[in-house]
Formats: sequence, structure tokens, C-alpha cells
Amino acid sequence: MIDLSDYLIVAACLFSLGVIGLFLNRKNVITILMCIELILLAVNINFVAFSHYLQDISGQIFVFFVLTVAASEVAVGLAILVSFYRNRRSIDVEDINTLKG
Amino acid sequence: MAHVTFPFPFPEHLEFLIPEMIIAMMAMVLLIADLFISKDKKQWLAYATVLVCIVTAVAVVQVTTGHSATSFYGMFVMDPLASFAKLLILLTTVFGVILSFDYMKNEENMGEYYCLMLFAVLGMMLLVSSNNFVTMYLGLELMALSIYVLVGYQRNVLRSSEAALKYFILGSLASGMLLYGITFLYGATTSFSFAIIGSALAESNESAHGVVMLGLVFVLAGMAFKVSIAPFHMWTPDTYEGAPTPVTAFISVAPKVAGFVIFMRILHDAFPAVQVDYTNILVVLAAITIVVGNVAAIAQRNIKRMMAYSTVGHVGFVLLGLIAANEAGYTGALVYLTVYLFMNMGVFAIIVLMRRDGMDGELLDDFAGLSKVRPGYALAMGLLLFSLAGIPFLGGFWAKYAVILPLIGAGHLYLALLAIIVSVIGAFYYLRVVKYMYFDDARVTFNFIENPAMKAVVIVSSLAVVAIGLYPEPVMAICKQALIGFI
Repeated sequence: MIDLSDYLIVAACLFSLGVIGLFLNRKNVITILMCIELILLAVNINFVAFSHYLQDISGQIFVFFVLTVAASEVAVGLAILVSFYRNRRSIDVEDINTLKG
Repeated sequence: MAHVTFPFPFPEHLEFLIPEMIIAMMAMVLLIADLFISKDKKQWLAYATVLVCIVTAVAVVQVTTGHSATSFYGMFVMDPLASFAKLLILLTTVFGVILSFDYMKNEENMGEYYCLMLFAVLGMMLLVSSNNFVTMYLGLELMALSIYVLVGYQRNVLRSSEAALKYFILGSLASGMLLYGITFLYGATTSFSFAIIGSALAESNESAHGVVMLGLVFVLAGMAFKVSIAPFHMWTPDTYEGAPTPVTAFISVAPKVAGFVIFMRILHDAFPAVQVDYTNILVVLAAITIVVGNVAAIAQRNIKRMMAYSTVGHVGFVLLGLIAANEAGYTGALVYLTVYLFMNMGVFAIIVLMRRDGMDGELLDDFAGLSKVRPGYALAMGLLLFSLAGIPFLGGFWAKYAVILPLIGAGHLYLALLAIIVSVIGAFYYLRVVKYMYFDDARVTFNFIENPAMKAVVIVSSLAVVAIGLYPEPVMAICKQALIGFI
């Protein structure tokens, strides 16, 4: 029998991986987009697990909203990334450095 | 006529959404109209956007009732607080569009710029009217996604796309954290509605305490990112510096108004049972925010970056009103946001005017000697900066007064003292600009574009700041009235 807490632990692992990857990653912005996706998927697992455990449908409905918004978020993110690449000719995290102070 | 039956009851009080419907429809109409308008007539889209905002503001006033009412099965709330916030957001948008007239004239795809602005406004209007985490999340994301694109709108300018990229990454992380917090609140209470979560938390037992705290901390962190509360403010300076100046002006006010109103709703409706815990967190955050904002601003040479840190400082002050968490505190926060709108829009209007002949005019040095060439603008800028610094008796002083007094009443004397001391330190960097304008010699030529609308923004905001400073009672009364039905 798989418990609610097992699902929550998996989601917490995914969430932490996403956040850690976001901050430790020094190489490529695409990886950052993947990390953001990982965070949102961890959220979805949490929602579905709670929804099933509580026998309440609204959590699963929220998952659909999150999936939709995540798709549009990645579209916007990639568009911004393309315009950044055109100006900088690189998508390395280390090259995002013209603004500072 | 055949009788139509829905599988569910038709949404009641649909008329409350008329302002949102106008914005949504007109944004799409403008998007299509943009395709058919020749390049030299694109300015009409800007005028149309201003018109849409004014019509929407009238609609907001029309649908406002003196009490709280809901629509869409209780997912959408229409109370004086929401109406007041919507009016502030629409006013900011009108100012923002006026600032864009000349600045963005030569950019490509001008029409989309104004549509994105309208979509951002739609998101913010939904955000301030939500009493439910689902509506709130959708409003927040509509606002955020539109603003990411607006920040990166000058797509041939490196710093603009870099600012957008940074804002996008940290903004997405913030929404992820917010959502992660919401999942735990949902797990503890089986609901997304603020009111139901509030009553469920009041009855919940000790065993659920850990889950609730986890949810609370993540929701607070997510909201703190969105309204740039330190230590979650890292995106603010870079985004403000890189974004086109009218967009900076827009995002320094409108999302803050929307964010703080929804922050108030969450704290007041969903978290009254854990008030002690969230107050402890917010006190620390407010202290860090005020100090970081005001001290870091001193080191800046770029005025947009300086204004970014100044925004962080002011956000800390608005947060003081939320910490007091009573009617006077929330009134103070609304007063602060109102005054802050005029101060910031006025300052940014002058910064936009400084750009001419291919130079940005964003460095503090560029303001040297402004008073000798354009005494009117220098006077307006001086007044606005004095007000931002909180010098009596200008609008900014009463704004600080309105949040600090309830804070002392709520028993946070040390935080209030810290806020007062740091605001004195903060006055230094505002007054430094005044010194540049009045006591230094001009190093560059001033060749301002003549734009009557822009001049009107400067005059209106300076007059508003002076008028509120001399006679603050009406604004305070209106803000107090906006809380009817909320408290």
C-alpha cells in the first residue's frame, strides 16, 4: 500500500531538485527551464495525491490549470530566451551578466 | 423559444465582471486592429488604450456597490477594496501608456505592446477580485506572463531581453513556491477558498500545524517575490534597469498595488488563525526590506536602478501596514500605495523625458544643472523626490505617518523606530538628486521632447503630492471607505 506521505516525499524530492538545479546550475538556461518544469510537476503530484487522499475533485481541477499555465509559461520563456540569444549569441548562465550593481 | 437548461446554474451577478469583459474584448479588438493599421497611424492604438482604460474605470465605478458581493459561484468577489484597487491600477495604466507615447514610437509591433499592457491589467483586475487560490493563480500568471514580455519588449536591446530573462526565471520560481504552499494548505483544509481555509485553520488541531506552517511559509515567500520584498528582491534592480522606462514605471506601481491587495486578502481571510506566526515572519521581512532598499539605493549611479531599490524600501513600508493587521493598518497601506502611485509615476515621467538624441539620460550625472535649463521640471522632480523621502508636509510624509502610527498601536515600537531611522538615511539619496539638479553645472544639453500629455502627467502627479500633503483627510477617508465589506 502506497501512503499519502510517500507521494509527498517524491514531490518534495522533485521540488528540491528543481530549486537546487535552478541555483546551482552554472551552464545553460535551458536547464533552468527544465528545473522550473520540475517544480511545477512536483506541485501537480502534491495536488493529485491530496485530491485522491481527501476524495475531493478540486485539486485535480487545479492541476489542469497549472498544466495549461506551465505550457504558456514555457512558451514565453523560450521566446525571451531566443531574443536573448540573438543579442548575446550565447545562452550560458555566466553570460547573463550585463546588468549589475 | 426552446428553453435552454444548463447542467449548472448560470453565473449570478455577471454584471460585476463588465469591467474585465471590456478590457478583455478591447485588448483582442486592438490586437486585430493592429494588423490593419498603417505604420504611421499606430499612435491611435495608444489613444484607444487610454480610452479603454477610462471607459473601464467608469464601468468599475458603476458596478461598485457599498458592500461585498460575489459572482461566478463565489470565485469572484466585488467589494469596495477591489474597486479601489482597480481604479488605482487603471490610473497607473493611463499614466504608463502616456509615458510610452514617444518612448516606444519607433519600436516594432507597437500594437502588441498596448495589448499586452491591457492583458496585464486584466490579470491584475482578476487578481484583486479573487477570493480563491484558483482565481488568484490565474490572475497572477496572466499579469506576470504579460509583464515578462513587456520587460523584454525592446528585443534588439541586450539589457532589455536580459532583464526579461532574469525576471522570468525568478518569477516562475516564485509562482512555483506559491503553488507548492497552496498544495499544503489544500491538503490541510480541502479547499481553495480563502474564507473556508480561514475557518478550517481556526478549527484544525495541533497535528496539522506542521503542514499549515509549511504552506504558510511557501505562500508568503511566493508573494514576497511578486511584490519584491527583501530577501526576495534580487530581480527588481536588474529588471527595472533593463526594461523600457515606461514599462519600469508601470511595473513599479501596478503589480505592487495588485500584489498587496491580494496579500491583504490572503492574510486577513485565510490566515487569521495563524496571525502570530505570520506576523513574526513579516516583521523580519519588513525590517530587512526597509534596510536593504534604502541602504543599497545609496550606491547606485543609474537612476532607474536607484528607483528600483527605492521601490523595495517603499514596499517595506507598505508591509508595515499589513503587519498592524487592523483597519487603520490596512487603510495606511492603501494610502501609501495611492501616494506612491503619484510619486513614482511623476518621477518616471521626468526620467522618460530625459531621454533624447540617442542618449538614455538615466545616470544621476545627467540630471546635473537641470534647474537652470528647465526650472519647471526640476521643481516638479524636487517636490516628488522630497515626497518620496517623506519630508513633511508632502504626500509621502502622510503615507509614512499612516502606516507607522497603526504599527506602534499594534505594539511593534522597535520596528517603527527602525523604519523612521532608515527613512532618514534613505532621504540622502533622494536629496542627492536634488543637489545635482540645483547646485551642479549642466554637463549635457537638455533638449526635451515637447509632449503635452507627458507634461500633464508631471503636473498632475506633483499637484497630487502637494495636495495630499496639505490636505490628507480626503484620501485617508476614501481608503478607509474602501475597506467596507472587507473588515
